[in-house]
Amino acid sequence: MARMKFLCDAERCIECNACVVACKNENSVPWGVNRRRVVVLDDGVPGEKSISVACMHCTDAPCAAVCPVDCFYTTEDGIVLHDKDLCIGCGYCFYACPFGAPQYPQKEAFGVRGKMDKCTFCAGGPPADNSDAEYKKYGRNRIAEGKLPLCAEFCSTKALLGGDGDMIADIYRKRVLKRGGRPQTWGWETAYKAS
Amino acid sequence: MNTRGILAVALVTAAAGLSGCYEDADVTVHEPGKYKGAADPLLSQQASAREEALAKRFQIVQTDR
Repeated sequence: MARMKFLCDAERCIECNACVVACKNENSVPWGVNRRRVVVLDDGVPGEKSISVACMHCTDAPCAAVCPVDCFYTTEDGIVLHDKDLCIGCGYCFYACPFGAPQYPQKEAFGVRGKMDKCTFCAGGPPADNSDAEYKKYGRNRIAEGKLPLCAEFCSTKALLGGDGDMIADIYRKRVLKRGGRPQTWGWETAYKAS
Repeated sequence: MNTRGILAVALVTAAAGLSGCYEDADVTVHEPGKYKGAADPLLSQQASAREEALAKRFQIVQTDR
């Protein structure tokens, strides 16, 4: 069984933000909410690296573990989704998520939060597939159409990959072998480098 | 009470007090609750049914050139 995953190859990402634009456009994401964002490491320093980050659709999702109203569910192929009708916008999932994926549209003054919004892997939500209700609340359901997330499909350098984790791992392994070593964007040399 | 008695009481009190300082090193793991929202049509489909279509799509769009 395939497990859907994202992977961003920091050696290829050029911080063009096309993935962010593609996501916002495809899903009509409201102003102030970014389901995906590009993070730059060592910005302005020679050797800077960029990675595109969104919900990573964790196998053991901490957001689901802390949700007081149990509005999260995981599809058979590992896509973590939620029901906005049940969500109370408490923000627990934001604290639990190591990637800062959950976003909250500001509805009123004094920072009152709306229902949580996050990357759906372009798989919509509980309403009927590709219905108006689904599109308004969750965005496009490309998975039901046999397509993969637009952010990954839009990536010109193929830095962002989204799909079956095994296929992605195979591509990434070949890239690393071709480059002749493991990248040090993360790892010991980055964690313990002299600042 | 003689000195030995006081010492014994002090030792017992100290032992009882220190036993309260024990900290459980086990991590509390919270399991996700059972989903209480509306049923998603995507859940009623077999993921294996769309697996082939998505794999084909991946080969067309995302493989290295």
